[in-house]
Amino acid sequence: MLTAGPAKKVILYVGEDHQYHGQSLYSAILNFLFYRGISGASVIRGIAGFGADHHLHTMRIERLTENLPIKIEFVESAEKVEELLPKLSELVGSGLIEIQDTTVVKPSEESAKTSAKPVTPSLRSEGKAKLMRIFVGENDRWHDMPLYRALLESMRANDIAGATVYQGILGYGANRRIHKETTLNLSHDRPMMLSVVDSEEKLRAYFPILDGMVEQGLVVLSDADVIKYTHSLTNPEKKKEAQK
Amino acid sequence: MKLEGTAKMLRIHFGEDDKWKDKPLYRAIVEKCRELDIAGATVFRGIEGYGASTLIRRPHHLSFSHDAPLMVSVIDSEEQIQKLLPFLDEMVAEGLIAMSNVEVIKYVHQDGKRS
Repeated sequence: MLTAGPAKKVILYVGEDHQYHGQSLYSAILNFLFYRGISGASVIRGIAGFGADHHLHTMRIERLTENLPIKIEFVESAEKVEELLPKLSELVGSGLIEIQDTTVVKPSEESAKTSAKPVTPSLRSEGKAKLMRIFVGENDRWHDMPLYRALLESMRANDIAGATVYQGILGYGANRRIHKETTLNLSHDRPMMLSVVDSEEKLRAYFPILDGMVEQGLVVLSDADVIKYTHSLTNPEKKKEAQK
Repeated sequence: MKLEGTAKMLRIHFGEDDKWKDKPLYRAIVEKCRELDIAGATVFRGIEGYGASTLIRRPHHLSFSHDAPLMVSVIDSEEQIQKLLPFLDEMVAEGLIAMSNVEVIKYVHQDGKRS
């Protein structure tokens, strides 16, 4: 939580069209900051600019507003900034990161309750791992967002190797209410299950965040052996072969 | 109801068209679980699969006779699961029942909060 006194202001410069794992880079960075419990961040779009590539990006019609400069700003304590920098440097890619000393005169009133965890190594391609299953209801919400989606996004922002949401057709849980799909009623509350696989350390590091989000539901952990974990970004040739 | 520490997870695989006493089997299983006060049960529908009969189950969009693969996931203490097993043995004529160990991280509910 941000308190009055000295702090750091971090400014990241990226391009609007830059992508990160299939979503725009600035929203990936914003998500990362959000789920790491940063008190606040703003994204500002510039109207013209140029960067390391010395390409002028403008809004002039004939050039069809391409890759406008985006500035992401946030203020945090020096320790927290230190903790997030390695991941931010990786995210920002060819962009620029700037840090300024600043003074918080009045901290904003409410801050997120999630807390950041140290970065632990990500899932290796094979070996021992843990499988976590989270059972919640389709109508459960977290900050005006479906809980299952919020969980998925927060896992992505916390570098969890992967998660899948399954929709059940019938079930009941801790509160003894039967959840089922009803064709005549649009407001059905179906059971949802998230299946998450990653190393035990990473999952355990994620528990406090999970704990703050799941108000009712069941979370269980079991052993898993990872047989294969690959993605096409590291292995473009294999993917091409597979498509043939 | 409290559930913590080590527990068992049961997964029961069968087809959507399977019946138990004129009732869909999946519904009968969930009702039986509730009757036995099992902590929770969830039914999932698969989109394709095959099982002991090696018959490929695939839901057809154009016909009403889809026999999609179903999976019921049940989690509770070993003692509670053992209570359920004899009934399952009788009810599931054709299918697979698998049991595994799980560690319960969280099991919470809030009375009356969910409308």
